[in-house]
Amino acid sequence: MPFLAGALVVLSLLGSTLDWKPARPDYAWSFPRDHWARTGFRTEWWYFTGHLQTAGENPRRFGYQFTFFRVGLQPTSPALDSAWKARDVIMGHAAVTDLTSKRHRFTEILYRAMPLLGEFGDGSGPLVAWSRPPAGSTVRWSLHWNGRGFDLAASDENQDFSFRLSTRGTKGPIFQGPNGYSIKGGEDGAASQYYSFTRMATRGRVSIGGEEHAVEGVSWMDKEFGSNQLGARQIGWDWFSLQLDDGRDLMLYLLRDRHDQVDFANGTLISREGQARYLESGDWSVRATGTWTSPHNGARYPAGWQVRVPAEDLELVVTPEVADAENVSRILPGLAYWEGPVRVETAAGDRLGQGYVELTGYAERSRPAL
Amino acid sequence: MLAFSHVSKTYGETVGAGLTALHDVSFQVPSGRRVAIVGRSGSGKSTLLHLAAGIDLPTRGKVEVLGKDLSSFSDRDRTLLRRNEIGLVFQFFHLLPHLPVRENVALPALVAGGKPRDFEPRVLELLDRVSLADRAGDPVSNLSGGEMQRVAICRALLRRPRLILADEPTGNLDDENSWLVLELMLELVTREKATLLYVTHSRELAGLADETWRIHSGVLDAA
Amino acid sequence: MRRYLLHTLKTRLRAGRSLYLLTVLGVALGVASVLSVQIINLSAVAAFRGALRAVGSEADLTVRGLNRTLPESLFPEVLGTRGVRGAWPVYRLDVAVKGSDSLLLEVMGIDLVSPASRESLELLGREKASEGLTQPGWMAVTPELARAQGWSVGDSIEVSCGPREARLVVGALVDFARVTTLAGAKLAVMDISQVQGLLGRPGELHEIHVEAAAEDRANLKALLEQRLGSSVEVLTPTQREDEAAGLLSAFRLNLTALSLISLFVGSFVVYTSSQALLVRRRREFGVLRAVGATRAQLLGLIAFEAALVGGLGVILGTGLGYWAARANVDAVSATLTQVYLLNEITSLQVPAWVYLAGAAAGMGAALAGTLLPALDLCLSPPRSLLSSRLLQEKVGSSAISLALAGTGILTLAAVWYRFAADWRPAGFVLGVALLVAIPLFTPLLVRAASLLPLSGLGVGYGFRSLAGRWTTTVFTASSLAIAVSMMVGVTLKTSSFRETLEVWLRTSVQADIYVKTESWRGRGDETALSPELVSQLSRTEDVVAFDRYRRLTVQSGDERIFLAGVETGLPGGEARFPLVGGDPDAVYRQFRDEGAALVGETLARRRGLEPGGLLPLVTPAGKAQVPIAGIYYDYQPGTGLAVVGLETMEKLFGPGPVQSMAFYLRPGADTDKTIDRLRAAHAGESLLFRSNRKLRQEVMEIFDQTFAVTRLLQGTSLLIAVAGIILTLLVLAREESAELALYRSLGARRSQLFRIFVGKGLGMGVAGLVLGLAGGVILAGIVVFVINRAYFGWTIQVHWPWGTVLAQSATILAAAVLASLYPALAASRTPATQLSREDL
Repeated sequence: MPFLAGALVVLSLLGSTLDWKPARPDYAWSFPRDHWARTGFRTEWWYFTGHLQTAGENPRRFGYQFTFFRVGLQPTSPALDSAWKARDVIMGHAAVTDLTSKRHRFTEILYRAMPLLGEFGDGSGPLVAWSRPPAGSTVRWSLHWNGRGFDLAASDENQDFSFRLSTRGTKGPIFQGPNGYSIKGGEDGAASQYYSFTRMATRGRVSIGGEEHAVEGVSWMDKEFGSNQLGARQIGWDWFSLQLDDGRDLMLYLLRDRHDQVDFANGTLISREGQARYLESGDWSVRATGTWTSPHNGARYPAGWQVRVPAEDLELVVTPEVADAENVSRILPGLAYWEGPVRVETAAGDRLGQGYVELTGYAERSRPAL
Repeated sequence: MLAFSHVSKTYGETVGAGLTALHDVSFQVPSGRRVAIVGRSGSGKSTLLHLAAGIDLPTRGKVEVLGKDLSSFSDRDRTLLRRNEIGLVFQFFHLLPHLPVRENVALPALVAGGKPRDFEPRVLELLDRVSLADRAGDPVSNLSGGEMQRVAICRALLRRPRLILADEPTGNLDDENSWLVLELMLELVTREKATLLYVTHSRELAGLADETWRIHSGVLDAA
Repeated sequence: MRRYLLHTLKTRLRAGRSLYLLTVLGVALGVASVLSVQIINLSAVAAFRGALRAVGSEADLTVRGLNRTLPESLFPEVLGTRGVRGAWPVYRLDVAVKGSDSLLLEVMGIDLVSPASRESLELLGREKASEGLTQPGWMAVTPELARAQGWSVGDSIEVSCGPREARLVVGALVDFARVTTLAGAKLAVMDISQVQGLLGRPGELHEIHVEAAAEDRANLKALLEQRLGSSVEVLTPTQREDEAAGLLSAFRLNLTALSLISLFVGSFVVYTSSQALLVRRRREFGVLRAVGATRAQLLGLIAFEAALVGGLGVILGTGLGYWAARANVDAVSATLTQVYLLNEITSLQVPAWVYLAGAAAGMGAALAGTLLPALDLCLSPPRSLLSSRLLQEKVGSSAISLALAGTGILTLAAVWYRFAADWRPAGFVLGVALLVAIPLFTPLLVRAASLLPLSGLGVGYGFRSLAGRWTTTVFTASSLAIAVSMMVGVTLKTSSFRETLEVWLRTSVQADIYVKTESWRGRGDETALSPELVSQLSRTEDVVAFDRYRRLTVQSGDERIFLAGVETGLPGGEARFPLVGGDPDAVYRQFRDEGAALVGETLARRRGLEPGGLLPLVTPAGKAQVPIAGIYYDYQPGTGLAVVGLETMEKLFGPGPVQSMAFYLRPGADTDKTIDRLRAAHAGESLLFRSNRKLRQEVMEIFDQTFAVTRLLQGTSLLIAVAGIILTLLVLAREESAELALYRSLGARRSQLFRIFVGKGLGMGVAGLVLGLAGGVILAGIVVFVINRAYFGWTIQVHWPWGTVLAQSATILAAAVLASLYPALAASRTPATQLSREDL
């Protein structure tokens, strides 16, 4: 359930009076149609994270993140004779974490969806979404459905990195929550439609610092859409997507309130065969074991966790691969969150798997006063 | 012609506190007389002349010119009296530097509104009497002190005033010129049948008059 | 010495009250005129800059189409250029607000999703930004405008732009001035989609603002130019501001020159008064020197007083200048918007340096005015200070040599001009030479007064006596002469120009009815009449012929000009363009049949274009050269104008709508009735119908407005000069008190002294007037034939406004008499006793 502070910020642009579709427990899913944009809903995102490495004896290892957000300004396109008429805003975040040099690179785009700047596909072709890259770059960002997974591309020539990856789902789609109805709090209607490809074989190329690398690896993909996800008192969340070497995948999220108390928590454990088990909040626990203070804005993030799912006999030590994997937005000042690759080990330090963690709402100004 | 009776003049705001320039002065100058008043500087002689000319008014007492009480006159009437009946001669000549000799002499006529041309013969006649006819067109700055005062005397006599008042007429001249100028003035006044009152600090020059009075600290001592 | 200074200061100031007061006033008026003009000048440029910055942040570069707009498809190209850190599209329109008399909103369409200026987004609030994207017609306006119009959030405002009409909604009140103090009050910010869709044209942008990633702007500029091709230009902020500043340069230069003349006149007044003040204190200085004060101490004393007076003048002048700027900003603003098509001034811009410059000018004038008399005093030996001052001031030989020097300066200037005629500011040098020479003739003129026959002690006597104190009077007469020169010169020029313009309008404005849209006054080429409307209008009853007018802003050489397309086949249509020269038949044949252009005189002069030459144009298809058939008289300042036939324009720039039409009615048809009929038929369509007479009247109104500030400056100079007369006469009343006392003792009546002083005042008035008239005629010649040609390129037919000049002369003499009343009254009160205490 990787939603993001940025989406929230843009979300709050919206007038609430407009007639948006709510997420429903009985939503009639239709694949592959639902991989494309569902425009009656207010927000929607395609969220990819993954671990990649080059071939050879001393492989270079990378973590990556790629996200397209659609934020609806109004449910239908206004009747204006202008290419700039706006129904949706398209926002993109992309990051590459070089696990060898421990350097994290982040870039972003924010445009209105229009023919010149970026658009969402209507399902008539493979294109799901595209956008111009950040200013000063030339290669488009794009997301296509390739029949078994997604092809994605992002670049930022100013930051000197780009990637072009092709993914293929080996499990799923997996519904997060019964029938893909993911509840986000006690409040009425705070929910989204949510499905994942928790394991996608990935291959492609990563360019970084002027060098291009052929890479292979595993990705995790989430797609979520809805109109009213977060409760008013929630300020941020911790989200875990862990891929265990035994073939199981674990997704956990904790929504925190203003007092940093867990307001709502939920999780899914997916078996090697792709069976989802929806975890109750009493079924598991997460305990932070350390902190990291951002040099960019002084925010204090948890760093390192003990994750326990007693019923599944899971006792995991989750450790960030890189301390500084904070994404700090330039376009939306104040927006900052930690999104980085983690390794999963036993208490003794034996490898159990890998994953991604997202931590939002820790930076002072990551929710600007509106 | 000119009579002071119990005239006092005090400068300053109130009678008691001010500086008394003249104190209870009484005298009479009959028509045709030539009277000299001798006194040191600050004795009140200039004040006396100003009162006689109607330039200033007494604090107390009565000043009569041609039998008329000046204090009963308006400023305008006093001005007209001065214009028509009185001629003034000053220690510093008071010639206008921007006018030539001829026009300086003609000034009273201008003041009275006459046409300068009408007075041309009279001007020349007077200048001739003081031996300056050939200098009529000169700028006054080209003249010597004695010559300047002679011009000033001509100016005073131009419109045949009945009373001539002269304030230290020789005060700015050397001895030789002083005698010359004063004699000339006395002679002219006589010829013009005018009355003369002049003040001087010189006993010798005062001696030329028909009568000499002394003034001391504002008190007139009719010797 | 310092103690002495402080000890006596109060007494001195009290004793010389009126002198000090007038000196302060002289400095103050000079400072005020310089300051007000500079404030207005700066505000005009700032208004232009402000509109750029209000929503565009401080863009590093601006991409602009050579033909006013650029295709929006270039936007991604810009965005994708290496070195670009951000790019923002801008769509600009001036829209007319219905129901208001002349309110034009400066609508700026920006991308509200990613506004360039974060501050403006924060001011707006993100919630409001989303309303701006979704609520139809949403716009953000300034609280100032809302207050002035009585609008509040949620109000609907009907507007029109050309034939298009829309209902806009006041969505938010945003004080854009908080982002930049330079933002115009009539700015309305909308989302670009709404501006394009509701009022503008799809597919086009006016500007793209670019933020450079690196400091290396020059590289990025070159890269963008290369990538985007020849149909656009890439401008730095300096270039953009220079463009506006360039348009305004002549306008600003004129105002600055006039204000400097006021300062010049003011320093004469300071000279007069400080001389008077110092002369009165000759003895005091003599005594001080005698008891051991050094020259330097005396100079210090004088300088301190000058600084004190100057300082007071500066303070007063600063307030006055600001007030004058406030009072005149509307007139100037109207000129800027109507004549130069720039942004209007809605706030005054006063950087600190302007105040400093004003203060420096004032203090400079005060000190300079004091310098000569002070040096004279300090260099004289103490003995001469104590003795009576020179009785006679010689007018004679020095008057002649000064006049000769004046003649020399004029001759030299004339000779110099023969060689320097090509240098643009040469006219100003001539003007300065003239203004320097004028005072040099004053002594001779004053001397001439002493040649008048003597008759009686009255006005004539006073008149004649001016020569007596010439060192005092010539300065006042000179300052008056300069003020009068300026007044007469500008009057001559203005009325010649006015008459020329009227004749030109009568010749070139021939149609009976003119039609345009309400937003026509704006800058846009979008203010067009729709083709349907054009054909409907052209079928109007009683219309026998009609003209169509299509105007485009196009690139020609290094500048943007207006290119107008008109009907070529109009019978008698050649009268619209009175030619500067050439055979009219041949010229019009070429224009009508061969697609040649007629070039406005302004443009032709500026660019050295001649009949038979080529006018370079950038068209959508690339560069083109249009043959020039002839040059016609044109009196539009700023942007140059050229005319081609509508067919030629279509060939060059493609088809497009026209912006206005002109109707010729059948002889005997009633123009007013036709207009009424048209208005009734097109009620609510934002169309303006104006008769021939009304149009001409409007042009003349704009003309008169343009010169409103000029009149203020003229008035200021005159006021300073009149203050100078009062001052001089008061000085004379003091200096001549012994002389006046002599007159009194000789039996002169008060009324006579009064008349003498009125005579002196009148004398100075006449002297100033005589010299001023002569100087004014020459100045007008310089302005009309040299400065105007160099800066505006207008041919002005000289016209003598006898009536006006006579009235002005009478006013000046009346002012001189009025100015002398108070001093005359003071002089007439001189007691005869003054005589015994002071010598002449």
